[in-house]
Amino acid sequence: MFSSPLPNVPPELESELKRIEENARTLVRVSTTHATIAQTPKQVIWTLNKAKLYRYVPVVPAEQRHKVPLFLVFALMNRPTILDLRPGHSFIEYMVKQGFDVYLLDWGAPGPEDKGLKFDDYVLEYLPRAIRKIKAVSGSEEFSMLGWCIGAILSTMYAALRPDDGLKNLLLLTAPLDFSDKTAGGFVRWVNDAHFDPDKIVDAFGNVPGEMIDYGAKALKPVENYIGSYLTLWDNLDNPRAVEAWHAMNTWVTDLIDMSGGVYRQLIGDLYRKNKLIEGKMVLRGERVDLSRIRANLLNVIALADHISPSCQSESIMTKVSSKDQHMLKVKGGHIGMMAGSGAQKYTWPHIEEWLVARSD
Amino acid sequence: MRDASMQSWNAMRDASMQSWSKMMIDFVNSEAYSQATGQWLDTYLTMSQPFQRVIETTMTQALTRLNMPLRSDVISLAERLTNVEMRLDDLDAKLDDILSAIRSLPSPQQTAEAPSSNQAADTRAKAKAKEAH
Repeated sequence: MFSSPLPNVPPELESELKRIEENARTLVRVSTTHATIAQTPKQVIWTLNKAKLYRYVPVVPAEQRHKVPLFLVFALMNRPTILDLRPGHSFIEYMVKQGFDVYLLDWGAPGPEDKGLKFDDYVLEYLPRAIRKIKAVSGSEEFSMLGWCIGAILSTMYAALRPDDGLKNLLLLTAPLDFSDKTAGGFVRWVNDAHFDPDKIVDAFGNVPGEMIDYGAKALKPVENYIGSYLTLWDNLDNPRAVEAWHAMNTWVTDLIDMSGGVYRQLIGDLYRKNKLIEGKMVLRGERVDLSRIRANLLNVIALADHISPSCQSESIMTKVSSKDQHMLKVKGGHIGMMAGSGAQKYTWPHIEEWLVARSD
Repeated sequence: MRDASMQSWNAMRDASMQSWSKMMIDFVNSEAYSQATGQWLDTYLTMSQPFQRVIETTMTQALTRLNMPLRSDVISLAERLTNVEMRLDDLDAKLDDILSAIRSLPSPQQTAEAPSSNQAADTRAKAKAKEAH
């Protein structure tokens, strides 16, 4: 637009106009396009329904690799690409470089035919099959499992129901497990309101729309999520690295997935309202989820500024399990920022890696 | 000059954003907000359900008359496919087990070599016996 010098315009003003034009272009580009994320080389080794199991291509020679494979289980309502956001800022890339044989389960997006899927199905059908495949491919009978957010609920349930299946190390990240405090966080308050009827939502939609869940998450910190995020971008438009980081994160944030109606009913009814999991009353396919059966080494990672799963929801698991080797790690950051924010490489990943290295050979 | 004024503007903006954010967080965590959103959602779902039912009934009738599969037919087919996938997955795992069991067995070549080495041992034993005589 300003390719040729404008007549009667002072050079300072012209350069300022050029800068504004460039910033506007950048703003439009990053807010209307998708960044290329999840670039660490991988291959699909197993699929079931919408779920895919990836194995990341090792970069460390086999003899130097850790023997126990690492299995990553993310939440159901967002893409797991947050674990592999962009080159140079990817937890998966980091762990692969540290010599881990890394596997990631992508749950995929449930269709109308999946509206009846429950925790029972994810924990007792999908996870055991994926783990069977990991064992076959890696040749190891033992494995480590890292669950984040609802992935941590699924991992905890699995660890309690199948304690003899080779699970050596259990890593829980921002795990919402204990809902005894009915004033801790907005979610707990909202879903415990008498007018909030999860059955009505599921009956109306089948699967709970990703947009609805996203609204709930964003409404917990409305100013930060709806305005602050864009102001941060505006302030950093001159900084290409900050812009690319924002672009990648925005790509992930806006890629929403519906949650199957069956799981939503259990999540609100059995967990958020009746707190069945931590009280040992949760039953999946006739089997009671007894947390005291968990014997795997446990690392419980809690984000100090987590407004989605406040620390009180994650702490009490430590007293419920039978694991002799258990650690609780409190790190800087929020629910997602803890693992994907600018400080993750410094404050979170090295601690997870250090803990895991000592227990993976 | 511009930088200084921008800095003071940004500082002022951030301070007001911070207090606004705190106020909003307190608001969304209040009982009043929970009740209001709960009631709003309940009203929306109650109001929309009759329309949804009408659309469903109309679509079902239209598709049936056109001799086309219904949404429920496609869903049930997809569910059956998932069940078939699970069975295939189990078969795949069993095949893997069988293959690894077969691989762990001694190969036919090794089995064939074993008697010949016995024969060689017999020959050596016979030769030793002759020497002894």
